[in-house]
Amino acid sequence: MDFDIIFGNAARAAFGPEAVILALAAIGLNVHFGFTGLLNFGQVGFLLLGAYGTSVSVATFGWSLWVGILVGLVLSVALAVALGFPTLRLHAVMFAIVTIAAAEIIRILIGSTDAIGLTGGPLSVSFDAGAFYDLNPYPDGPHDRYGVGTFEFTGQQMWVITVGWVLVALVSLVVFLIVRSPWGRVLKSIREDEDAARSLGKNVFSYKMQALIIGGVIGGLGGVIDAIKTSGADPNGFRPQVTFFAYTALLLGGAATYMGPVLGAILFWFLREWIESFLRQLTAEAWLPDAVADFLSGSEGVISVAMVGLTLVLLMLFRPQGITGNRIEMQLDAR
Amino acid sequence: MPDELTPVPGEARAGTESGLVGAQIEPNHSVPPVAGAPKPHPILVVDELTRSFGGLRAVDVDHLEVERGVVTALIGPNGAGKTTLFNLLTGFDRADTGRWSFDGQPVSSPSPDQLARQGMIRTFQLTKSLAKLTVLDNVLLGAPGQAGERLSAAPFRSRWRDQEEANVELADELLDRFNLAHMRDELAGTLSGGQRKLLEVARALMADPVMIMLDEPMAGVNPALAQSLMRHITQLAFEGLTVVFIEHAMDVVTGISDWVVVLAQGRVIAEGPPWKVIHDHQVIDAYLGRRRAGGGS
Ligand SMILES: Nc1ncnc2c1ncn2[C@@H]1O[C@H](COP(=O)(O)OP(=O)(O)OP(=O)(O)O)[C@@H](O)[C@H]1O
Ligand SMILES: [Mg+2]
Repeated sequence: MDFDIIFGNAARAAFGPEAVILALAAIGLNVHFGFTGLLNFGQVGFLLLGAYGTSVSVATFGWSLWVGILVGLVLSVALAVALGFPTLRLHAVMFAIVTIAAAEIIRILIGSTDAIGLTGGPLSVSFDAGAFYDLNPYPDGPHDRYGVGTFEFTGQQMWVITVGWVLVALVSLVVFLIVRSPWGRVLKSIREDEDAARSLGKNVFSYKMQALIIGGVIGGLGGVIDAIKTSGADPNGFRPQVTFFAYTALLLGGAATYMGPVLGAILFWFLREWIESFLRQLTAEAWLPDAVADFLSGSEGVISVAMVGLTLVLLMLFRPQGITGNRIEMQLDAR
Repeated sequence: MPDELTPVPGEARAGTESGLVGAQIEPNHSVPPVAGAPKPHPILVVDELTRSFGGLRAVDVDHLEVERGVVTALIGPNGAGKTTLFNLLTGFDRADTGRWSFDGQPVSSPSPDQLARQGMIRTFQLTKSLAKLTVLDNVLLGAPGQAGERLSAAPFRSRWRDQEEANVELADELLDRFNLAHMRDELAGTLSGGQRKLLEVARALMADPVMIMLDEPMAGVNPALAQSLMRHITQLAFEGLTVVFIEHAMDVVTGISDWVVVLAQGRVIAEGPPWKVIHDHQVIDAYLGRRRAGGGS
């Protein structure tokens, strides 16, 4: 058993592009759920539109990557408006159902064979993200590696994660600046009691819509990073569990805190990869009974996701506020 | 029914613009104590307002006027429709029929936030404190016209800091008066029931209302403090604020109200100065649950 490899892999996942994408998804969700109380179960839909907007613009229409990114973000805004207009006045549960359904419908449409000409359909779409990598300042020869042991990235990967984490920092800063203001106070008041906010003259629908758009665009940015990272998009990458991973990250880190979604995303990927690597190493051990080894081998990924879920359950039991949350606030829910 | 006394809505507007409204009005001397009586300077005029829940007619008001700048108590037995009437007037519930005007403006499509911005501020019988906001933030939320509540200004503290500081000063004064200063930085969810009532009234006053509608504001508040707060509210009425409050305790009603409106089974069955209304046998019957026997005061 080589713990250097296990920790190396875990750290690599915790700081890699996947964690950046999850962090952006969770920050957006924090604006929706954490601060405004909107139960958005379709966050993956925003990532999907960010990724496909970028990919299809470049691959199908031959536009520049930068235009593609803009298209991805505009589509995210459009989804927020389309979701919000009919449902934000309804009960919170209605909104939740519509969001999860809408995201899944979009994924199925985009992945259908009828859409092959536009989105690649069930085949993934791929494009040349050269415009992004041309700006890469990291030497990227075949032997250039950054990091130690298995905690190691190529020059291209370094460029993606550098841009990604800078983006996460900037987005977090913007969210901090707008939420600590009187505007953010109105959001939180809507989360606590819409009617109280109304009785004091706040246009609840308008604030919810603003929050939905902002959080959606942040999710869309996550999709853009995803598209650039893989130079394309695949409908299977946008299944509903992406939303639930984002919720897990948010709750791990602490909802309605500024650093929570970022720390949660890092921790989520660290744990997931740590457990998976550990199981891989375990199955390779000679002393393990064959039956157990057979059971484990090949399902390390699934088991690690289950273990992350278990961690979340334990966390809810013993530290429901997440890592950074405030215990007293959580206890108020029970009153 | 005093149909012949129904005023034209234009009168309300005349009252609005006559300057020194409020201070010199003593409706108990000039207005006949009959249900639906017209007032010299009504801020609120309600006509033919009804609301049914299934077969139950919760509100059925033919005509009601509320005088500007005075303290009006809305009383009536449990289930009389007092809260429902508040909900209708403030846009939190939809009327089946009826129309009303507020501050000279006919209310055509009642929306709670818009009416609140026009100065009609209400509190709730079941308090709605914002549990995970601090007590101070609860009150600050009431402040009207805060530029920082617009997204375009929110990230730039310099655009709203001065206003916020002035609001904090005002909020601290209110919290002090409502015996909540020591809880200022605690989360509102940690307050007791009575303290939440107080917080809600403070928050409503922070909104700088033209007319404040309080639904049993002092229920659960210790009597001494309740007395002092109601005196504060009468003082505000003297300065021009219109107060309508729902209350069951008769000593509070007689102590601070200028005018009393009695609701029973959704209808206005009597109104008048408090000393007169509480001896009205129709009112007494309504409270004791007897069917209305006919005849007046
Ligand atoms: N949402 C509702 N659905 C059905 N019935 C309702 C609803 N709201 C109120 N009612 C009924 O309407 C009647 C009036 O209720 P309302 O709450 O207005 O009374 P109230 O005068 O405020 O009483 P209390 O002094 O007990 O607060 C009651 O019979 C009540 O059961
Ligand atoms: Mg009531």
